[in-house]
Amino acid sequence: MSAGLIAPPWRRRLPATRHVLPLVLIVVAGVLVVGPLARILLVTLTPSGLGAWADVLASRLSRNLWWLPLANTLILGLGVSAGCLLLGGFTAWLVVLTDAPGRRILGLLHTLPFMIPSFAAALAWGTLFRNARLGGSAGYFEANGLAVPDWLAWGIVPVLIVLVAHYYSLAFTIIAAALSSVGADLVEAAQMTGARRPRILFGIILPVVTPALVSAASLTLAGAVANFAAPALLGLPVRMQTLSTRIFGMIEIGQVERGFVLALLLIGVSGIFLFLSDRLVSGRRAFVTVTGKGGRTRRFPLGRWRWPLLAVGLALGILTTVMPVLVLAASSLAPQAGALFSNWTTHFWLGEGGGQMAQGQAGILRNPVLIEALWNTLKLGVVVALIAMVLGLALAHTITRRKGTVLANVLSQLAFLPLLVPSIAFAAAYIALFGRPIGPLPSLYGSFALLVIAAAAHNLPYAVQAGRSVLGQIAGDLEESARLAGAGALRRMWAIVIPLAIRGLLAGAILVFVKMVRDLSLVVLLSTVATPVLSMVAYRYASEGFTQFANAITVLILVICLAASLVAQMLQARVQRWKR
Amino acid sequence: MIPVPHPVDDDAIRISGLSQRFGDFTAIHDLTLSVPPGAFLVLVGPSGCGKSTLLRMLAGLDAPTGGKIAFMGRTVSSGAGGVIVDPRARKAGLVFQSYALWPHMTVAGNIGWPLKVAGWDRAAREARIAEVLSLLAIAGLRDRYPAEISGGQQQRVAIARTLAPKPAILLFDEPLSNLDAKLRIEMRGELMRIHRATGATSVYVTHDQVEAMTMASHVAVMNRGRVEQFGPPLDLLRRPATTFVATFLGTPPGNLLPVRRAGDWLVHGEVRLAPAALSQGRDEVQLLYRAEQLTTTAEAGAPVLAAEFAEAAPMAGRMMVTATVGRLRLSAITADPPGIAPGDAIALTVLGAPDAVFATNGERID
Ligand SMILES: Nc1ncnc2c1ncn2[C@@H]1O[C@H](COP(=O)(O)OP(=O)(O)O)[C@@H](O)[C@H]1O
Ligand SMILES: [Mg+2]
Repeated sequence: MSAGLIAPPWRRRLPATRHVLPLVLIVVAGVLVVGPLARILLVTLTPSGLGAWADVLASRLSRNLWWLPLANTLILGLGVSAGCLLLGGFTAWLVVLTDAPGRRILGLLHTLPFMIPSFAAALAWGTLFRNARLGGSAGYFEANGLAVPDWLAWGIVPVLIVLVAHYYSLAFTIIAAALSSVGADLVEAAQMTGARRPRILFGIILPVVTPALVSAASLTLAGAVANFAAPALLGLPVRMQTLSTRIFGMIEIGQVERGFVLALLLIGVSGIFLFLSDRLVSGRRAFVTVTGKGGRTRRFPLGRWRWPLLAVGLALGILTTVMPVLVLAASSLAPQAGALFSNWTTHFWLGEGGGQMAQGQAGILRNPVLIEALWNTLKLGVVVALIAMVLGLALAHTITRRKGTVLANVLSQLAFLPLLVPSIAFAAAYIALFGRPIGPLPSLYGSFALLVIAAAAHNLPYAVQAGRSVLGQIAGDLEESARLAGAGALRRMWAIVIPLAIRGLLAGAILVFVKMVRDLSLVVLLSTVATPVLSMVAYRYASEGFTQFANAITVLILVICLAASLVAQMLQARVQRWKR
Repeated sequence: MIPVPHPVDDDAIRISGLSQRFGDFTAIHDLTLSVPPGAFLVLVGPSGCGKSTLLRMLAGLDAPTGGKIAFMGRTVSSGAGGVIVDPRARKAGLVFQSYALWPHMTVAGNIGWPLKVAGWDRAAREARIAEVLSLLAIAGLRDRYPAEISGGQQQRVAIARTLAPKPAILLFDEPLSNLDAKLRIEMRGELMRIHRATGATSVYVTHDQVEAMTMASHVAVMNRGRVEQFGPPLDLLRRPATTFVATFLGTPPGNLLPVRRAGDWLVHGEVRLAPAALSQGRDEVQLLYRAEQLTTTAEAGAPVLAAEFAEAAPMAGRMMVTATVGRLRLSAITADPPGIAPGDAIALTVLGAPDAVFATNGERID
């Protein structure tokens, strides 16, 4: 007699229910990730879409639509990547491999710039370096009699500087982690051969961390290529276009299909570099990751260079973190751009309006649009964080439980796909799919719901990553030991799984929240007057010349992000303490 | 009379008054020893006793805070003068416990890089690489990367890389501790073959006293940053200078019985073990009995310790029995398994006079 025949009915139904969650996940991930991307491609394959391809790539317009933006985008990508490798590499070397004093402070300082949104840095740059070329009030330097040449005030140079200042800390984080995994004995083995320091650096240390260098280069490049805020604030005023500003412009003026074509091209450009960098390191036998033994690193004495190099490191950190924040904060209080630190007034925050200042506009905290934007932003951050974490946890669970199956592979590919798509192109894809009615569903364009699902989908990779690490923490044996101790399923859930998971989940949610609150490039296409968010309002103010308002809103965004990060830090610290 | 020329210092390694402090903590205390060229010096001691610290000073990776080190009469490190001859100029090579192979270079690349740094030309490098590869029987691994070979093979590559530049002094930091037992024994033989083949003075750090006993021409037993005893392995085994050495060396290690003087006898508990004269007037001393001096068969007139059986293991056709007397663990040798359960009472007969007598501070007094 076969066992199947005597099995109770629920037992036979089990396989079916087991497949429900994965199926739901496949459908959800498919709709959220593949749907928009497939749709944007299909839209450009219709007759009028093909016309848009021709306009963009092969027409009188293509120089302005595609080639010049492409050239600027590539210059920015390569330049930022090189600059980030230099600065990030230098700071990582200083912090990890030398006996520079104050290394801990330096290490902390150099991870911060990436936390500050790039539009904050761009606004700060404008506040200091803007010149009179475009009319409007001059920046700090020019107002104080220092003529700022055009090339330093507008265009590719300031965008490059701002983006390097923003992204080098990403390179720093990646390279520093790799350098600290290079065990002291690898270096000492090289010292034993009598090799001098430069030879050890170039012959041993750098080759060992090559995969990290390549990934730092490609991630900063992809970031710079996709960045919208910096070129929009510092380049657009002088008609310097990149692919992302072009996408924005085309969609905004209603030439949606051209915008879609450019979005696909941007995905392609950033994809090519990510693909190349992946090919460069993966599967190469020489680049197996080193597992650091014991974690001791060999520090080189800097001798008389200790203090000068510390000064350079500190200056870099201060110029890229403290300065921008300080400038923004001061400017949101100072009525004159040339006197950032005098005549401070709370007008731009609390003023009643109707007076001479700021063309009679009220302070931001009295502006109903801004208040609405503030609530929208917080709501968006919280809702997206929740949805992304629930989805991420479910995906991570299914992927780890079914490791090695086709299903798990498909799901994990789907979940990580958004990482490869620049946010502005991702937003364009969402417009392509949801921008018009689908069957009985109305168009979602301009709705809060569209913002939420696009943002949740774009944050899926981070959420899945967080979900995985949470699940890793409560890995099998912990739960099993509770089961062996005789605890029932509910009790296990309550006493083991939830306390272990909650902090990790919260930390992941906060990360998503912060990314949302300071995001501009995704919301810039999806947020409309009906659904204002803070970063978008700041961008509008800035492009209309109301610098102080834009700066004040940016300060507000920074404060929200800082508060959320502090909460995350505290959670993390508690988790650490309790792990020890 | 012919004037004697300036005396040539013919010690390959001479360490005098060496010390190393890390902040308040002294890892090496005023350490002095020397070995002749071609010696195989083993530094043995428990984990944390300062072996690696000493070896790193010999390698030139760290400077001492006091004392000095001379190779072939030439001072290479000095705490006072701060003379640090860099590692290459010492002609010393170091084999790391972790192997420290460079992961981005092939086996041949790992072996060749030090030669390249030393300025060997290409042909000489290739020849030398082939030579050491065959010396270590790993010619087949030439083009593999470290991640693609086993731990034992990595170990061989690490040794080959250290040998390649023909160092005059070879330093090993617990090179075998990451290998499994069988490979360890095999590599032990291999290392000694290499030592004979190269003739390089070697300093070998281990916490495994069996390695020390089998490989060394000279052994320094270290404990808490000091050398407890220094000499040829058999001398140390036969005449341990301290209780630490006595209980650290030997398989199984010797038994130390604390005794006190009671009348004409030295007694452990109530058991009379030896005549009081052995204590040279002290009230309390410790007696060393070898494992083979304790047995379970009764012997007329021999003292008997009442103990509790703990475990028995076969050893060279006989049984090594471990039993406890209070908190003391004792090893005895018997012909047959005792056939009783752990925790059962067992009588240990003490045969003959104690092998050595130690004062309570651990110093040997006889
Ligand atoms: N760089 C250092 N700073 C502080 N203490 C150290 C350092 N290196 C070693 N020590 C300490 O010195 C002692 C000896 O270490 P080591 O020589 O590594 O021991 P082992 O005999 O196990 O090789 C240990 O207590 C260790 O903690
Ligand atoms: Mg050690």
